[in-house]
Amino acid sequence: MLTFIVRRLLITLPMMLVISFLVYLGLELTPGDAVSHMIDPEVANEVTPEQLAQLRAAYGLDKSFIERYGIWLVNIVQGNFGHSLSGGVSISAIVLDRLPATLELSVFALLFSTLIGCVLGTISALRRGSATDSTLTVVGMLGVSIPEFFFGLVAILIFALHLNWLPVGGRLMPGDESFIDHLPNIILPGIVLSLMMTAGVMRYSRSAMLDSLSREFIRTARSKGLPEWRINLVHGFRVALTPVVVLIGFRLPTLIGGSVIIEEVFQWPGVGSEFIEAVRGSDYPLVMSIALMSVFAVLMASLIVDVLTALIDPRVRLG
Amino acid sequence: MAKTSLDKKFDRIRDLEEAGKLKSSSGSRALRKLLSNRLAVVGIAIFLVILLSSIFAPLITSHDPQKIDLRSMLQSPSWEHIFGTDRTGRDVFARILYGGRVSILVGLGSALVSASFGVAIGCYSGYRGGWIDTIALRVSEIFMSFPQIILVLLLVSIVGQSLFNLIVIFVISGWGAMYRLARARMLSLREEEYVQALQSFGVSTFKICYKHILPNALGPIMVNVTLTTAMFILAEAGLSFLGLGVPLSIPTWGNILNVAQDLRVLQNNWWMWLPVGAVISLFVLSVNFIGDGLRDSTDPTLQG
Repeated sequence: MLTFIVRRLLITLPMMLVISFLVYLGLELTPGDAVSHMIDPEVANEVTPEQLAQLRAAYGLDKSFIERYGIWLVNIVQGNFGHSLSGGVSISAIVLDRLPATLELSVFALLFSTLIGCVLGTISALRRGSATDSTLTVVGMLGVSIPEFFFGLVAILIFALHLNWLPVGGRLMPGDESFIDHLPNIILPGIVLSLMMTAGVMRYSRSAMLDSLSREFIRTARSKGLPEWRINLVHGFRVALTPVVVLIGFRLPTLIGGSVIIEEVFQWPGVGSEFIEAVRGSDYPLVMSIALMSVFAVLMASLIVDVLTALIDPRVRLG
Repeated sequence: MAKTSLDKKFDRIRDLEEAGKLKSSSGSRALRKLLSNRLAVVGIAIFLVILLSSIFAPLITSHDPQKIDLRSMLQSPSWEHIFGTDRTGRDVFARILYGGRVSILVGLGSALVSASFGVAIGCYSGYRGGWIDTIALRVSEIFMSFPQIILVLLLVSIVGQSLFNLIVIFVISGWGAMYRLARARMLSLREEEYVQALQSFGVSTFKICYKHILPNALGPIMVNVTLTTAMFILAEAGLSFLGLGVPLSIPTWGNILNVAQDLRVLQNNWWMWLPVGAVISLFVLSVNFIGDGLRDSTDPTLQG
């Protein structure tokens, strides 16, 4: 098991290194460096080239490209991502400030889509070929075809503007303290974010369930005279569940991608809406740092999924 | 009993084969199977209706999608303006038709270009193997470890917004999946006996790759092209909705939806965003139906 983890790490770490290098390259290629952004435009005319060079030397910007990359990388590993161009706030502070909101939304969407997707997929598999099954298949198709943000807009129109049941957007109202207080705020973005993933989980759990129902142990269970619900849920579903749970890790990229737009639609103050603001404002250090963090998150997730799969299924380890 | 009916079946097939009828029909088997799939037919119909009405937009509407008419601002739908007008008096229906041209071009075009790149690289590196294959595989892994929208937005922030840039960015973010697919097919197909035969005849690598093996891998590639088209159309809509996709001066489906970021428009002027959202959803749905139908009709394990 340990050799498997080590071998897996040997693939992931160089990849992270290469990606960080590419991101740094992008950072270098975009206009301006740390010093040119530090100087107030009003006094820029009075600064002499010598002073600029001095400043650059003080920040290590006169060193060779590789050296600068090394310095940058060491800083990143220590959690220092530099400063945002707008406002000069430290990037790690910005992200840490925004992360709880994004995590809250993602966990909600993950739980909701897994639950609903599994239930619908199982129903679909148990009633294979029936009207329910084909309806659910078409509904699932619709789920991946409607742009999430459009679904979000329709949801805002109906539930927030017309029915007035739920707030239009935002996360914390003044005076909100506990999770319960802002539960109404998370319902719309959470459900909209789940939509696309629910369709995916449904499809996947349907085929996993069909697969496990055709296995021999189901026939054995049936021949022992167990009640049908027990065969389906206790024996069939449990086996189908394993790949579905593993799938959660692979849904992280979808989740990150979806939350970027959904956060913007619902003015959810998370990392995604910050990222869009940074792209709009050409705040390159912030854009690159958030991109880098999201890639690391994805790579870590797939590493964890692989290790978990190897724990569950010994055949993977040997392969 | 069962055996005799099976024998009859074989006899019938042999008769057909001798009459030379079977061969001609087997080529279109995938197509026939596709056309017998009800959802796929519905998909093709919707797809064609939207595609053709975008291409022949000038024949369908006499309105100019860009013409500003301040006397007819924010009109609700009427016979004159089927989907009403927007804040500067432009006809929304005409904008949806003309916008479809750009959106479909971006979606389909990016999917086809990324498929060409991915398949060209995947076929060759999958067939040849060795260090070329290793490098291509690692490079594709790097691109694919970015969540797609993050990579797209990152590149948008570096190269700036334009129609051409957007297609290039989509290709950069999309070729990896195509490459993986083509390579995986190639790895199994290159072990076939006809490939060994070709090799022993001294046929050149390029010819074996692209002329003899590639056609056998086209089924799953076509399926993936349709699904990628759907994905890119959704991505264009999302990006333009955020104001980060195609420049706002060009009408696209996403750019038309852009106005819905304003809550007042969202609440009071439904015609400005609801129809176009429905058109995007319908179009993507139709492409997905076609893709699903293609998958069923080209997958040999499902061949009946």
